[in-house]
Amino acid sequence: MSSPSHLSLILDLTPVPWDALSHSTPPLRLKDFLAQALVFINAHLALRNENSVSVFGALPGRSMILYPPAGSTQVEADENTFHVFGQVDEGFMRSVEQEVEDLQEVEEDVPPALVGALTKSLCYINRLSNPPPPSNPSEAPPPPPHSRILLFSVSPDASVAYIPFMNCIFSAQKLKVAIDVCKLDESEVIFLHQACHLTGGAFVPITQREALLQYLSMCFLSETETRKTLAVPTLDKVDFRAACFCHKEIVDIGYVCSVCLSIFCQPVLECSTCRTKFSPDTLLRFGNMNLNGHAHTHSNGTVTA
Amino acid sequence: MSDQQHTAQLSPIHAFLTTRPQTALSRLYTRPSACLAVFRLLDDVARQIVMSLLWLDSKTGVDLTAWVVPNEDSRKHYAAALQDLVRLHIAKEANGRILLLPAFQSGLRRALTGGGEHRSFGVPCPGARGKEVMATEQLDDYASERWESILHFMVSSGSSAGRVPPPSIAVIFLLRRSGLMVPIGAERHPESRITSKGFQFLLEDSHTQLWELLLQYLAMSEDQGRDLVEVIGFLFMLGSMQLGQEYSTENLSETQDVMLQDFLDYGLIYRRNPDDHTRFYPTRLATTLTSTSSLAFTSSKHEKAASSEGFIILETNYRVYAYTENPLQIAVLNLFVALHSRFENLVIGRLTRESIKAALANGITADQIISYLTVHAHPMMHKNNPVLPVTVQDQIRLWQLEKNRLKSENGYLYEDFNSQGDFDLVLNYAKQLDVVLWENREKRKMFVREDGHENVREFIRRRAES
Repeated sequence: MSSPSHLSLILDLTPVPWDALSHSTPPLRLKDFLAQALVFINAHLALRNENSVSVFGALPGRSMILYPPAGSTQVEADENTFHVFGQVDEGFMRSVEQEVEDLQEVEEDVPPALVGALTKSLCYINRLSNPPPPSNPSEAPPPPPHSRILLFSVSPDASVAYIPFMNCIFSAQKLKVAIDVCKLDESEVIFLHQACHLTGGAFVPITQREALLQYLSMCFLSETETRKTLAVPTLDKVDFRAACFCHKEIVDIGYVCSVCLSIFCQPVLECSTCRTKFSPDTLLRFGNMNLNGHAHTHSNGTVTA
Repeated sequence: MSDQQHTAQLSPIHAFLTTRPQTALSRLYTRPSACLAVFRLLDDVARQIVMSLLWLDSKTGVDLTAWVVPNEDSRKHYAAALQDLVRLHIAKEANGRILLLPAFQSGLRRALTGGGEHRSFGVPCPGARGKEVMATEQLDDYASERWESILHFMVSSGSSAGRVPPPSIAVIFLLRRSGLMVPIGAERHPESRITSKGFQFLLEDSHTQLWELLLQYLAMSEDQGRDLVEVIGFLFMLGSMQLGQEYSTENLSETQDVMLQDFLDYGLIYRRNPDDHTRFYPTRLATTLTSTSSLAFTSSKHEKAASSEGFIILETNYRVYAYTENPLQIAVLNLFVALHSRFENLVIGRLTRESIKAALANGITADQIISYLTVHAHPMMHKNNPVLPVTVQDQIRLWQLEKNRLKSENGYLYEDFNSQGDFDLVLNYAKQLDVVLWENREKRKMFVREDGHENVREFIRRRAES
């Protein structure tokens, strides 16, 4: 039999877009979404006895682990529910409720800490795939699980977090972790496109929100091994645009430092990352340049990459 | 993995279920715990097919072929998975459209969403909630002791030394029924002798062993006229229970009460108070019934002795060092190793021609010995590739070949030919048919295989007539 698999869910719990979603047509309220996510988690755990799950949440400005809980929770056994499901459901719902209660002032401008949640999730996966050596050396350690991440996105890209986000993608590649993205609203998320493309994950925009559970179990449940037989939807067209390091804006044409490959939206005299000085003669060739490298008015190139 | 999986051997219970009629399976699927257990028996692709269809309410079914990766291997794998689903009466297929059967669909939905009033995941004992939870080590100790005592009984019956007290009559009856042991003397007498099938059984891992016995138990229950759906449903219910939780018997049927009593003997069930028949603990043997991996006991007793796996070192000079003090493991090793020293936590022996011959005479094959040694090889051995020294592996196989120096074939001897000409003619004919096993022209004799006899005799008769 194939080895067990670990599924790490990342939920964007930012209140503003969730409020918008619950008033759109058809509405998708957070409560209904969580209920469907729970059934999906149960389905993942049902696949195999050894399967495991972790859930991370992203709120404006901070991220937290929602499951497994820090302490052990004692759940009352129920004769009508499989005990594994009962434990996960109880622990997960309890911590989500806790977080939502603690949420008081909503700061409009702060983007959700998706990168923080993603990093925590990758750290967790890394710990699972490199278990500490067993105390008894004669016992073979259990095989590390195949892991993947499923990210539920409800808000547009935060280009400020471009660099840490790309670092997360590369770490995921190195850990051989696929990042799947389930897009619940219509906003533009080119970095998430790139994340799916680079890690070999599925990207599915949910067009019929009332059928969310069907989307989840059809597209996101299959394990890496199964995907070799039953395909999952991926993107045909990937937007590979990057964000510049100076203003964190997405650029069509950028200027790249020849030493450290940092990206700038306009020619600069000195690379802000590695302090390499460029000769003014070379820079002159780019024409139309503003040698004050930090002016905020940059012209978005008209030529598309 | 994926390319071999669809040809892989089905697990015994899986194969058993495919032979059941649809009515029985539909009744079984009314229990959500059974749906979950059967679902886990399926292979990856079949499980994904079920999941893709689970939440659809379509009456006509769905065509999933567009999702199959367009290559030969995937198509075969998909077709095999689909066929399996149809055989288990989970889904039906018509014109390429697949439809989950309502019994299984609603059962699995119930299992995933929880709730309802089916009580198929076992009724927890009210008194045991929260407090007084049995330590899992204690349960493991109990289960492994029970299970090993059965195996040990089997092993020791083959040799005269170190007899072990026999388990209950019911267990012995099942062992005899499954052909693992045969009675010595009277039918009712507990004296039994292990068979060659029994020796092979000992070398398998405990998960396989357990299921093999349980399948015999199923067959036996069927003979006794018990309702198989109840029996299988109870097995799956045990498989979904939580280790360390005490359960109540209040919701069990009469059949299941009887089974509970039987499973006490195998170590699947533990009763804290032997006289209190209203509550029980499932042990790890029971709770891992539906998982695919083999058991991993966290037993405290044998911790020093490398509890379940990895204790044998085999050297190129045929010496065997086994770091164990478990009497069962030593007894199993004793089947094919000539043991000569025993220390606190170590047994030393040697693979000899005689020891292997004795094992072969018991019906154990060379491959079984090699696979047992490989599976239980000490972690230090895993640095080698292959794990076991090639010379020793080859020698064990050669010893097996030695046993088969004579090969017998049935056939007919033709002799007393009138002339050399006649003989040559018949010989040529028989050679064309490729049925000659032996010939001697001087003595005008030849030996023809059984299947060629008819033709050759007919040929001679026609020659004699003309």
